[in-house]
Amino acid sequence: MKTDDLIEALALGLEPARPARPSPLWLSLALLVAAAGVLAVLGPRSDLSEAVTGANFWLKAAYTVALSAAALWWLDRLGRPGASARRPALALAAVVALAAMAGAVELLRLPAELRLDDVLGWSWRECSLNILGATLASGPFVWLSARRLAPTRPALAGAALGTLSGGLAATAYGLHCPEATAAFVAVWYTLGVAAAAAVGAAVGRVALRW
Amino acid sequence: MVEREAHLKRLMIAGLSGDAAAWRALLTELKGPLAVFFRQRMGGREADVEDLIQETLIAVHAKRATYDPALPFTAWAYAVARHKMIDAMRRQARRPTAPLEDAGEPAAAHTVEDGAVRRDLDRVLSLLPARQRQLIEDVRIGGFSMAEAAARNGVTEGAAKVSVHRGLKALMARMGANS
Repeated sequence: MKTDDLIEALALGLEPARPARPSPLWLSLALLVAAAGVLAVLGPRSDLSEAVTGANFWLKAAYTVALSAAALWWLDRLGRPGASARRPALALAAVVALAAMAGAVELLRLPAELRLDDVLGWSWRECSLNILGATLASGPFVWLSARRLAPTRPALAGAALGTLSGGLAATAYGLHCPEATAAFVAVWYTLGVAAAAAVGAAVGRVALRW
Repeated sequence: MVEREAHLKRLMIAGLSGDAAAWRALLTELKGPLAVFFRQRMGGREADVEDLIQETLIAVHAKRATYDPALPFTAWAYAVARHKMIDAMRRQARRPTAPLEDAGEPAAAHTVEDGAVRRDLDRVLSLLPARQRQLIEDVRIGGFSMAEAAARNGVTEGAAKVSVHRGLKALMARMGANS
């Protein structure tokens, strides 16, 4: 086909284009499905009704929501050809650094013999894995939310998708997980989300083609 | 440069709101700069350059909603072009292609006589311009060599090669889109 014919064909019947951004509808669905999955498979923490009146429950949620928000911003920039993704990446790093600092300060204020328990809690073995499992529920919907984007760096965009899926999954996991120490959350929640990001990067490398 | 960016950006924004004339103008104005961009990087393989221009224009069209008017338009357009070029290079590396003349003449070894097949073939070929159609019929069905077919149709052998190649590609694309 001649290029001018192609241009003619493309311009013919042109429709206004809604700006492409990660779809809030699919993202809400991702969080809902992850929450439903956590409640159905793992069950709510036994003291949930009490916990929601305390600060720790919401601080933990604030961390995972902040991770998700930074990842969403990162994804949005990575999904636009030619846009710089540096600032959202720095924001994401800042969120993780803040949590790490909160965990470190908490540990330093504790007597040395209590520190290990503070980090390991009673569920360190399963926490990261459970978050990765909940990511299986949120991941497909987060993927669908980004269909209209055009990532030119597929591995990084995959990592952003993974971080966002993991952040939403970790938020949902807070409904089940009774751990309340900053050090525990900073280590094991972050690790679970990082694992989701790694999976996302591997998948994105091959699957984010356009 | 700055004026050009502002001009293209205006066309882009008009195109995004559904202005077909602006969109046609934008895509047409992109042709030249894209040709320069690809020629500098593809080492003068003209058929590849033409393919890449078309693929980029299609991508610019399909992904136009990802353009953020707060950012420069040319940065966006060249990022799309670079992405399409890397994509094409990766494809070529994975699936090495042989020049058409080395491919032998399997299609000419047996003739297509079956009426139904012949009728389908006619319908498909009728999508192409007459000369291109004649070239493809001569080479792939009639059993002529590329040089003979070129002489019969009054074009150079090089032009015939490119025309047959593009014609087949366009047909594949049409069939792919329909099935």
